[in-house]
Amino acid sequence: MPAPATLPRNETGIAAALGILAQRFGERFSRGEDIRRQHGHTMTWLANQPPDAVVFAETTEEVAETVRICADHGVPVIPFGTGTSLEGHLNAPAGGVSIDLARMDQVLRVNAEDLDVVVQPGVTRRQLNEYLRDTGLFFAVDPGADASLGGMAATRASGTNAVRYGTMRDNVVAVEAVLADGTVIRTGGRARKSSAGYDLTRLLVGSEGTLGIITELTLRLHGIPEAISGARCSFPSVEAAAEAVIMTIQIGLPVARIELLDAMAVGAINAYSKLDLPETPLLLLEFHGSEAGVAEQAETFREIAVDAGGTGFAASADAEERGRIWRARHDAYWALRALEPGSDALSTDVCVPISRLAEMISATAEKAREMGITAPILGHAGDGNFHAIFLLDPADPGAAARAERLIGWMSETAIAMEGTVTGEHGIGQGKAAYLDRELGPATDVMRAIKRALDPQDILNPGKIVP
Amino acid sequence: MPDRAAFIETLPSAVEGDVQTGSSILDLHADDESPFRAHRPDAVFTPTSTEDAARAVRHCAEHRIPVTPFGVGSGQEGGAIPLNGGLSIDTSSLNRVLEVSTEDMTCLVEAGVTRLQLEAELRGKGLFFPVDPGADASIGGMISTGASGTLTPLYGSMKDNVLELEVVTAGGEIVRTGSAARKSSSGYNLTQLFVAAEGTLGLVTKVRLKLHPLPEARVAVRARFETVFDAVTAVTQLTASGVPLARAEFMDRVLMRGVSLMQKVPDEGCHLLCLEIHSDETTAPDRAELAKELCREAGGVAIRASWRTEEISEIWSVRHRAAEAERHLKPGADVIVTDVCVPISKLSTIIADATTELDRLGLTAPLSMHLADGNFHYALLVAPGDAHEAQDAQTFKTWLAQKAVDVGGTISGEHGIGIGKRALMDMAHGPALPLMRVIKQALDPDNIFNPGKVLPE
Repeated sequence: MPAPATLPRNETGIAAALGILAQRFGERFSRGEDIRRQHGHTMTWLANQPPDAVVFAETTEEVAETVRICADHGVPVIPFGTGTSLEGHLNAPAGGVSIDLARMDQVLRVNAEDLDVVVQPGVTRRQLNEYLRDTGLFFAVDPGADASLGGMAATRASGTNAVRYGTMRDNVVAVEAVLADGTVIRTGGRARKSSAGYDLTRLLVGSEGTLGIITELTLRLHGIPEAISGARCSFPSVEAAAEAVIMTIQIGLPVARIELLDAMAVGAINAYSKLDLPETPLLLLEFHGSEAGVAEQAETFREIAVDAGGTGFAASADAEERGRIWRARHDAYWALRALEPGSDALSTDVCVPISRLAEMISATAEKAREMGITAPILGHAGDGNFHAIFLLDPADPGAAARAERLIGWMSETAIAMEGTVTGEHGIGQGKAAYLDRELGPATDVMRAIKRALDPQDILNPGKIVP
Repeated sequence: MPDRAAFIETLPSAVEGDVQTGSSILDLHADDESPFRAHRPDAVFTPTSTEDAARAVRHCAEHRIPVTPFGVGSGQEGGAIPLNGGLSIDTSSLNRVLEVSTEDMTCLVEAGVTRLQLEAELRGKGLFFPVDPGADASIGGMISTGASGTLTPLYGSMKDNVLELEVVTAGGEIVRTGSAARKSSSGYNLTQLFVAAEGTLGLVTKVRLKLHPLPEARVAVRARFETVFDAVTAVTQLTASGVPLARAEFMDRVLMRGVSLMQKVPDEGCHLLCLEIHSDETTAPDRAELAKELCREAGGVAIRASWRTEEISEIWSVRHRAAEAERHLKPGADVIVTDVCVPISKLSTIIADATTELDRLGLTAPLSMHLADGNFHYALLVAPGDAHEAQDAQTFKTWLAQKAVDVGGTISGEHGIGIGKRALMDMAHGPALPLMRVIKQALDPDNIFNPGKVLPE
């Protein structure tokens, strides 16, 4: 496993801050080995860099107080939601204090008429949708994992239905955040749009805890559609599938999800979820609308798919059957791991203009083969975003270096296609080296902002612009 | 003090584009559509390329000369007025549509391309750009004010429709803020930071926009309502039913009185709501029926709906003449436009309170609303030269902004802060305002970009 760089530790400051925090938070302060490790990065190949201590905060004021204590002593602070981020966002390369926000888990106010909700950052996506069930509304962004909403905002998460409902960028109306000196700010009200000064909401969304710690969010909601139906269709090639996706988007068919699986991924979910799908590239779709509307959308898509060379089209308004297929998609990560039992899995993501998606996916698959890496591919095709899941043999000493080379190659190729090195996972530690290559001089602007907002570099140091 | 004469003398040799100092050209760049006092720049520069614009910015930075970007001058809050003189950078020759990708449904344009120019360029491609603030504004100007317009309910505002920008920074560096991908988690969101920054953080030179497929069918609906509450109910019910509501424009009974004066027909004394739904052809008739039914249930009368092109323009004709109708209420009056935006659930109470306040001040102020966004504009009609009335109009603007913030809204829905609303920024943003200052200071330490805008002194 590659170890992310460590940064110089402020031992005196850390000792002093820990002493004060221990007294202040009592049982809600922990230095236990296991707890510290759990609050570092645990999801992928990046090595775990635990914080020195964890504070379990229960209020915004407690977050602010913790930040003030750490700021006084020049000690890093790293916010923690559910620990599902993928690029080493939670690691503590210079040590410091992890603030666990999971106990701030209240849904504070649903404004049904305005289609918005105010939540604390530790509320998870599923918890919110459970809570909303009787209101006829739902929160749309679905990254798969049952992540905390604060964490989803911090990484600018998206997922399978961003094609219809947008990403966290589009669904966060405003946030409350604690800044590097402990000041608490609110970035906006509940208006559906605003031109009143700099857009601090969208600056904090996606800033990965490096500019402020999100302590409350106002989120946009959507009406639960009257009808939901699903469809699937197999294609002879990724190119043919991508052509169908482009046509679908171009005619304005309002698909709610349009997911692409390459042949290897289809083989994996067949084996894992006991399905018998043809082992060629597959598109999985979901339609939201009225009863008549979803049927018509499915039919329109069928015509497009057949024109693009699709076969085995099957539509279903039946919840159980649709559930089975989508469960298979959601379980894909485990299915893919089962392709090579005992392997380490690493999920990386890039996003390109949709016209380049097929080319990008095919080239990635080819490159992975060439490098001897098993790498099935899953894509949010409507956005041009996809994941390659590398299955690496932990006993192979060269595997990590090869994986890193492939990530580098994918990043460079995505940039050359006018895409981005990450569509939804964020930069964290894992992609920091590629940010500069993607955005060049813009990273100087980012550094200027970081320095101005966090002059001591205590907010999640070593991430985005280390 | 910067030596402006030396600056102007040396600028032409530092750049390619025209540097002009004639009084008529300075006057053209001294003003916009806002009520604020004009102020001339010292010179007007028309760059031929981004690199040329960057050269001018570097020259300004060296001489500590203010830079104020100018698109077409259609701003409502004074964003383009060079308050401290200096250089007005006119983007009108940065007017090329560089790329239209029908597959990716995006386009890359230079900042000086105007909305109607882009519309013409897209004709026949089956795609359109949906942000329509009314004026034929430049795309760069629309970015800088965070413009929106009537189609926002379905298609979003500029913020939602920009993918990336090319910007010249205060150091004269050319920066690309993103990529052509439809989404990204790659670093800080600089793209949306420059939207609505009104040229105070950098000069926008190129814009990549999202395009949308033209709708197969449109349904127009018109209904009269007795109360704002009833019209809001009709719209929220329609939204909740999942209908793709594209426009929801409301004209109050004062404005409708102007319409009756303009058309020389009896005044019905009602508010008017005009809706547009975008859909496919097969579902259009059902959607028209549903919209009619929901308007009726909410108390709407004189309801008309149609999906036929000629009837659609007939249904919307009144709304298109709103600006003209305003003037019939008080011929010769100056118009001062307000722009706040509140949660929809708060609309009917804030309008009721505003009506009382306007009566108290004795002001005539027709109201139009982008109802589904909660964004509304009073056109305060002020007799030219009537200082007392002008003062009352100002009092009302401030009162309304405070009220909007109190109910969880914003002091500007789509026009920006510019000059006049700077004094309201502290009230609106509180502890977040210093953070904006820190960002401004970090990106433009010498305050050369559009000084005197957005942030209060």
